[in-house]
Amino acid sequence: MKVSELTGRHNYFEDFTVGDVMKHARGKTVEPMEQVWITNVTMNTAEAHFNEHLTQSMPYGRRLGFGGVTISMCIGLAAEDTAENALMELGMDKIRLKGPLHHGDTLYCYSEVLETTDAKQPDAGIVRFKHYGVNQDDKHIFEGERTVLIKRRSHWGDK
Amino acid sequence: MSDDFRARARLVPKGNRYEDFEPGRVFKHHWGRTLTESESTLFSTLTLHFNPHYFNAAYARVHGHPGIVANPLLVFTTVFGLTVEDLSEGGGPFLGVNQLTYHLPVYPGDSLRAESIVLDRRVSDSHKGFGIVTWHTRGFNQREEEVIDFKRTNLVRLRNQQS
Repeated sequence: MKVSELTGRHNYFEDFTVGDVMKHARGKTVEPMEQVWITNVTMNTAEAHFNEHLTQSMPYGRRLGFGGVTISMCIGLAAEDTAENALMELGMDKIRLKGPLHHGDTLYCYSEVLETTDAKQPDAGIVRFKHYGVNQDDKHIFEGERTVLIKRRSHWGDK
Repeated sequence: MSDDFRARARLVPKGNRYEDFEPGRVFKHHWGRTLTESESTLFSTLTLHFNPHYFNAAYARVHGHPGIVANPLLVFTTVFGLTVEDLSEGGGPFLGVNQLTYHLPVYPGDSLRAESIVLDRRVSDSHKGFGIVTWHTRGFNQREEEVIDFKRTNLVRLRNQQS
C-alpha cells in the first residue's frame, strides 16, 4: 500500500504557514438524527438534547445541540485540510461554545494557523490551529485551539 | 389512594446542583463504555473527519497501529458523556474546555471510564439562579491507563435560588 496516494498533497507540515486563515469548502446541516445519534452513542444523558416535547417549554423552545457535536463537527469540516495527513491528535485548548447549534442548523468552519514547531520525531511537526465555527446566519458560535502532529512531506510524501 | 398511576408516581430525579459541587469532591462516573469499530467509523464519517486512521484499517496498520484508531473526538465526547449525569445534567449550558490532552491512542474494543474532581465554583453574576463550575475530568482505558484529560466549565443551576 502506498499511503501517500490515499491522502492530499497540500496538507503536510511544510504547507502550514503561521497567520494563514482557511475557509473550508463544504458546510454541513446537522440533522436531528446526527445530533441525537452522537449525544446518545456517547452516553450523554442530558434530555435537552433529545426530548423535543420538554424543550418546547424551555427558553429556546426546541432541542439544543450537544456542544460536543459542535466541536466534533467543526473540526470534522476542517479535517480534510488540517488532519488528513495527521499522525496523531495531541490536544485542544480554549474551546468556547459561544452560541447554540440547534438540530437542523448548518455549520461552516474556518481555521487559522497559530504556530508550527518541530516534533521530537524527525518525520513530523506540530501545528497549533485555531478553529472557528459559524452557523447559517454567519453567527460565530464556536472557537477553539487544536494541536496536531502532522507528517512532513520530506519523510512521507513518497511513502 | 388514587388508582391513577400518574397521581401515585414520584419523580426519580437525576443529576446534581451547584451546591453539590464542593471543590475537591471526586466523582467516579457510572457505566463505562467499550468503543466499537462501527461506532468509531460512523462517528468519523458523519463528522466528515477524513483522516484514514479512523476508517481504513490497512492504512492505520502501516502507521504502527493494530487496526482502526478510535477518533479522538469520539474518545472526548464519550468520556464527556459519561460525566453528564453527575456533573451537568441538572444544569445549564456547556461553556468551554481548556487544557485537553490526548495521552494514548484508543482502539475499538477498549473500554473507557471517567472520573472528575471539582476544581472551582462561583455564583454567576449575569445568569440569575446559576453558578459556574469547573471540573477536571480524566478518562481511562481497561488497563487504568489515562487516555485523555481536560478541564470543563458549565453553568449549573442552583438548588436554592438566591434573590
